[in-house]
Amino acid sequence: MADDHHLVLGSDRSDADSVHVNWMRVAMTMAEEALSAGEVPVGCVFVRNGEAIAKARNRTNELHNASRHAELEAVDLILANDDHHHDGELPTPSNRYPLSDTTLYVTVEPCIMCASALRQLGIKQVFYGCENDKFGGCGSVLGVNAPSEHPVHPAYNAIGGFLREEAIMILRRFYVTQNTNAPVPRQKGTRVLKTEILSRANSS
Amino acid sequence: QEDFCSALDHSNSFLSGSMDDVINEDELPFSRKKLSLDKEEEEIGDIELGITVTARCHFSLLLTPSYIVQAWVVDIPVQKHIASMLKWLKCSELDIEALSHLKRIRRQGETSTLLLGVTLQPPILPSDVALGIPYQLPVPCNPALTQTSLHLKNTFWPTVLAPRRKWEPEKWTRRKLKWAHDAVNALKKECHEVASSGELPIVAYVPKPYDDENDLSQSFIAHDTRTSTRHPLRHAALNVIRKVADFRVTEPTSPREDGSVQTQNGTQYLLTGLTLFITHEPCIMCSMALLHSRVKEVFYLYPMPKTGGCGGAACIPALKGVNHRFTIAVWKGECDAGEDDIFPLAFEIDA
Repeated sequence: MADDHHLVLGSDRSDADSVHVNWMRVAMTMAEEALSAGEVPVGCVFVRNGEAIAKARNRTNELHNASRHAELEAVDLILANDDHHHDGELPTPSNRYPLSDTTLYVTVEPCIMCASALRQLGIKQVFYGCENDKFGGCGSVLGVNAPSEHPVHPAYNAIGGFLREEAIMILRRFYVTQNTNAPVPRQKGTRVLKTEILSRANSS
Repeated sequence: QEDFCSALDHSNSFLSGSMDDVINEDELPFSRKKLSLDKEEEEIGDIELGITVTARCHFSLLLTPSYIVQAWVVDIPVQKHIASMLKWLKCSELDIEALSHLKRIRRQGETSTLLLGVTLQPPILPSDVALGIPYQLPVPCNPALTQTSLHLKNTFWPTVLAPRRKWEPEKWTRRKLKWAHDAVNALKKECHEVASSGELPIVAYVPKPYDDENDLSQSFIAHDTRTSTRHPLRHAALNVIRKVADFRVTEPTSPREDGSVQTQNGTQYLLTGLTLFITHEPCIMCSMALLHSRVKEVFYLYPMPKTGGCGGAACIPALKGVNHRFTIAVWKGECDAGEDDIFPLAFEIDA
């Protein structure tokens, strides 16, 4: 995680970061929507030339499909609308890699599946809220974004720490309730909503 | 289709004989990948050093530095404070899964010591309980797999014994082998059709399960459609996952022969209990989608060493931390199949 491709913000944030925080707030509204719909609360927004081109949130429970994460939902919206396809034309960077001019803001570090999908689509860069210790594909469990080699797809930067505490708290709000769609639910009646958050440097 | 399959079956002598025969492991037409999960340090020690319980110094060398970690602990002088400290711990950030293989309290004579955590800085303790000053001790990183290991690890810190069941490969009867063989033939047949359509010749197939057809009442097949849809993520595995999901949304429950009804939780969840056959080793994205979907096992015909997520570029179900494991098996002998050979892919393709 010490490489340049997996960065975590320190406590000193510059004004330039406020742009990222503002986009992360948009992603967070989608996470809130997921929570009200009984889904794992993860939301995202894809931004191109300073404009949101797609917003989405997790729909795995509704669709009974564990691959329907926020990022892949949004990608389908983008590719359905995008006019990046032209019959008979030779491949160009923008149609071989339709997200090469696009930035993703997502409340949780993309999982290994989404991190690979984003690389296959040539994403420009990714900003995320909190890290994902179970499935994170941008360094937490596997570095699909950059340290891993791929024969052709370009690497991308993934930078965490934007609205991190809010991202953690909304996940906790979800997990203190019963996820009736998960297999063999554990007894969660005794679960308590924790409010303290360790800083990333001190957590194990 | 019957002719097609029986013609192929004819060339496979392992399919002739009693259906109930168990086939020897080395005669199976596939090889199972052994997921090398966390290193078994006890076995290394037992074999290489022949160590015994008394040989802590050797073992501690063996454990250093990757198998032990410095942890913060604190002495609790007053016995009656133990319960309240454990309660405090449960509500703190220190109650993490990564330490669940260690006991929280160590008793040595009159002294009770509480394991706090493995943070860099000493944790902040409640000020209203009389405690010592936190200090660091080396503790094992993993549970003990054997009694010997337990004794050794307990000399560092009380550790949980979690013996791993010895891995025994599942026994395959000729009948089950026929089921798998039919599935591979279905893949190949579809692959030939797909190749002539201009799509990438990658096909994924989820047959009705061998053990319990009630888990999935029909088979599903899908091929790669990234070319025709101009969507780089329309891979065969994701496409077949979507087909099964769509089917299970419309029929979330089905009455079983014994009269019980499947609930939403359990076996009908996603690809739980199901086997996926696929022509080419699925890419990292698809391998993780299969893990998210709780697939039981994945058979593939062609490895993709540069892009595959089932042993090629990475081995997703062997990663530390993921919450599901699935079996990986590679179908053997595809290169001998002559004109039945399916289509190889360029090495840089994500299948």
